[in-house]
Order: sequence, then C-alpha cells, then structure tokens
Amino acid sequence: MKGGAITRHRTRMGDGRVVEMSTDEIRADIEAGTEDAADKGQIEPLTSDEQDYILELMTAPYRVVAVQPGNEVVLTDDGSAGALYGPQSSSGTGTPVSREQAIRVYERGFCLDTMEVGHPDYSFRPVKPIVPMEQQTIESVLQSTIIPIYYGAMPNLALYYDPDGPFGNPADFLPKAMIKEAREAQVQAAEVCRRDMIYISKKMAEVGADGINFDTTASAGDAEFLATLQTVEELANTTDLSIEVGMASEFVLGMHGELEYQGKRLAGMYPHDQVKMVEAAGAHVFGPAVNTSTRRSSAWNIARAVALTKACSQVATIPVHANVGMGVGGVPMSETPPIDMVTRASVAMVEIARLDGL
Amino acid sequence: MNEQEILEATAESIIAADEEKAVELARQALDMGLDPNRVIAQGFSEGMKQVGDLFERGQRSLPEVIIASEAMVAAVDILSEALPEDSQSKKVGVALLGTIEGDVHDIGKGIVATLLRVYGFQVHDLGRDVPLDDFVAKAKEVDADIVGSSALMTTTMLGQKALEQKLRDAGVRDGIRTMVGGAVVTQYWADKIGADAYAEDAQEAVTKALELVEG
Repeated sequence: MKGGAITRHRTRMGDGRVVEMSTDEIRADIEAGTEDAADKGQIEPLTSDEQDYILELMTAPYRVVAVQPGNEVVLTDDGSAGALYGPQSSSGTGTPVSREQAIRVYERGFCLDTMEVGHPDYSFRPVKPIVPMEQQTIESVLQSTIIPIYYGAMPNLALYYDPDGPFGNPADFLPKAMIKEAREAQVQAAEVCRRDMIYISKKMAEVGADGINFDTTASAGDAEFLATLQTVEELANTTDLSIEVGMASEFVLGMHGELEYQGKRLAGMYPHDQVKMVEAAGAHVFGPAVNTSTRRSSAWNIARAVALTKACSQVATIPVHANVGMGVGGVPMSETPPIDMVTRASVAMVEIARLDGL
Repeated sequence: MNEQEILEATAESIIAADEEKAVELARQALDMGLDPNRVIAQGFSEGMKQVGDLFERGQRSLPEVIIASEAMVAAVDILSEALPEDSQSKKVGVALLGTIEGDVHDIGKGIVATLLRVYGFQVHDLGRDVPLDDFVAKAKEVDADIVGSSALMTTTMLGQKALEQKLRDAGVRDGIRTMVGGAVVTQYWADKIGADAYAEDAQEAVTKALELVEG
C-alpha cells in the first residue's frame, strides 16, 4: 500500500459485472459464502486454509489462473458442442459446422476427454421420434473419434406436461391448491418419461454409444429425479453404457414432496445426498450443480459452490465432475462466461473440492 | 398459556401445517381476549415466513407450503370474524403474472404464483408464452397492483423491456409496480429497463411484492 491507500482488486459479481473490491471485502464474502453453504446444506464450512486459497485466487492479478502441474483433471462436455454451432442466445458462437464436425473440433482442437451427441433441443422427449437419425450420427461420430462418445439429453419432465405433453401441469394445479392432481400428474408423467429415456438410451447402446449423460436432472423437481434414478437403475443392470447424471440445482425441488428412492425422500436433497442416490442407482459419474446468485460477488459464489461440492466429493464413491459453467459452480450468469472467473472457479473446485473432473 | 406462548404456539402450528391445532389456538386466543391482528401478524404470519424460509432451503416441498397456508387461512378466518368488518383481512393486492411471449418455462413462475396466493395476493396467472398486449389488457381488466414477468432466455427477456414501454403507452404504468424474474434476469437488468423490482427466487418475490404494495 502507498500512502495508506487500500488495494482494490478487479473482480466480478454473479451476473458478470466487473467491480472492484478490497481484500477485506473479498475475504468477508468468501467467509459469508462458505457459511451460507454450511447453513443451507448442513455441511462443514471450508477451513480457513481453504478460504485463504480462494482469497489468493480472487486477488491474483492475472486474467487466467490454472491448477498446479499434476492436478489436471478430466474435462467432459455437456450440450453436444452447441457452443460452436449454436446461436449466441444459447451461448453458442454460430460457427457454421455440423454436429459431427463440431465434436471432432472439440476432440482435436479443444482436447476434451469425452464428448457427446445431443439433439439441438437437448431433451429426451423430442428425440424419441427421430431416434434413427440420432443413432446414425452417433455411429458416424464413433468412427471418426477416439474419445468416449456419450449421448446426452435432459430428462426435462416439464415437456410431458400441458401444453407440450399429455399430462396436466403441476405449475397450473399447485397455485390452485390442487395438490392431489399435481402429484398424480407428476407420477404419471415421470413413468412415461422413464420409459422414453430407457428406450432412447438402449437405442444408443445398440449403435455403440459409450455412455449416456442425463443433464440438468431434477429441473422439474423430485419426480424427475426419481424417473432418472429408475432409468439409471435399469440401464446399469441391462447395458454396458457408462452413465453420467448431472444435476440442475443445488437442492432437489420438492414439487411432489413425498417421492422416495430406496427409502430416502428426494425433495430437498443437497449434492452430498444426491450423489448417494445416483450411486445407489448404478451411475458411474455424478455432476453436482450449485446455482450462482447474481446479486452476490464471485468470491461469495465460488466459496459457496466449492463448499457444497467438497461435501459431495468427500462422500462420493464414483467420480464427481462438477458443473462449472454459465450460472453454476461459482461461474457468473452471463451468455459468455468470463474466463477470469471460469478459471478461478475451476481451480478452486479442483484444488479444494478435489474433483475428478469438470 | 400467556400471550407470548400463544404467539409462539400459533407460529409452530403453521410450521407443522397442523390446521386443527391452528384453529384451536385461534379460538383460544380469542377466548383470552388477545388482539386478533396481533395474533395474525406476530403469530401465524411469523410461522408462514418460517415455512417460506424452509422452502427456500429445500426443507419443505411446495405441497407442504400449500398445506401450511391452508392451516393459516383456516386460523385467520376464525380471527377475522372477531374483527370489525372494515378491518377484516382484505386481499393484500392484485398480482398479474406471466411468462413472456416466446418463452414456455413456467415452473418458477408457478411457484411464485402459489406463494403470492399463500401470502394473501389475488393472483391472475396468464400462463406461458404470453403476448405483451395480453399483459396490458389483463392488467387493466383486473386493476393490477403488480405485473410480474418471467423470462428464462436471453432472447425473451427483451420482452420485459418492451412490456415496460407497452404499459407506459397504455397510460397505466404509473399505477402499477413491475417485477421481473427468471434465470437470466438480474438486478442490473431490472434497473436498466426500469422495472420496480427483481427477485432471484420465489420467497424473495413475495418479500418484494409485499414491499411494493405497502408503498
């Protein structure tokens, strides 16, 4: 410090805005973030050493930070290379390449360790009518790549509700206190969703897909989580597919509230409990998601996300590949996540939460 | 039980979603000559706030929140009978909600609608993919205090900005408070477009809505 001036560090808020914060302010936010995680998740907060490490990352003057040599982790992808060929409004760059070309670019240019084929709508329901086309793409990609190729999609139970699907919509029933109808709709829709996911997954297995990735699982709540777990169980018992389950949110939204899997209530589960359900179902990789608060600083968000993810990693018996991207894992919620915070969140996740991959 | 114990017990009855107990305590409070408004505000409402907090933590499901709110409504009905007619609980305000045209996401908006009803708002939910003109027409029809729009895509959030202008063009903006929400929406966006409030989650939406109607 010169002349008593307080050093202010360039950092960001959860919505990506650049702000300046003092060291003490950043330290206070890191502490507050880890305390919030401990309180909400009923877990241990990060240790003071771990918080100091995050402080070091957040106050480093470099745009990009990285893990120490030897601590590199596996990088997997979800979204099927959409960042290349997708529109900007979907966080893509509109690069004029096909899905197959994009996947090869990811393998050869970006060095991802796995890739996936996915429908542009990226949900299971719209895939069912065009399964042969997706099978054809998987086959073609498998013949021109070396890395494991998954088929990825979101369970997205909401597509089974009115107006998109045949079942009543809980979002319409619940505001009218029609609890019985809301619960029935969810259970019925979940059963059809489960059947669809099993059908599609097995079709991909037929053509040699290496794995299945269930993305943003439980976005529609506990019924969707249950459908996914039951699907995983079936696939684990009847196929050789590698199965990854990535979550939508840090806790399972209780839209039904009374659904259980293996005797455990699913509503309200945080990552350290979610992973045990996914393990019990037979999945091979788990991807926790911790949501970013746009009104809080990146320091707060990263500390919180790392604390919740660390608790998950500590109890997991399968690899944990945290979701670290737009609006999750401590990364700001913006169309093009800023690389300064993406790398800081990633390093913190790897070095503190001891992740197996991202 | 003394007054403080009654107030604590009423809050607990809502947290436990025990309608029978809530009604019993409401009657007991009246028998004791307690101020009904105080029992509602510092007893039952406190319980409902805690239920909302538990929901945001994932410790209560949405159906459980609704059941708790029904317990509260039953208790408040008992207490309201003891109030002079002109001070009986009226609706807190009129809220009009919808997901912006082009966007079909509505789970979060549905949760907000549920909680606003629980907290005494008269809620009109236009659903999803709602044309902006429909927001304006319905706001006029129901004399909305609050117009809340949800957008989960960066393309559709632009509709929230356009809605602000539509409300101004219709000459109703001054009498309405606007709220925005959705995964891609931020406080910065709300400030930029001139919305009166932004809420990051359902419970915050209720808090902000109550602040808006209380002026």
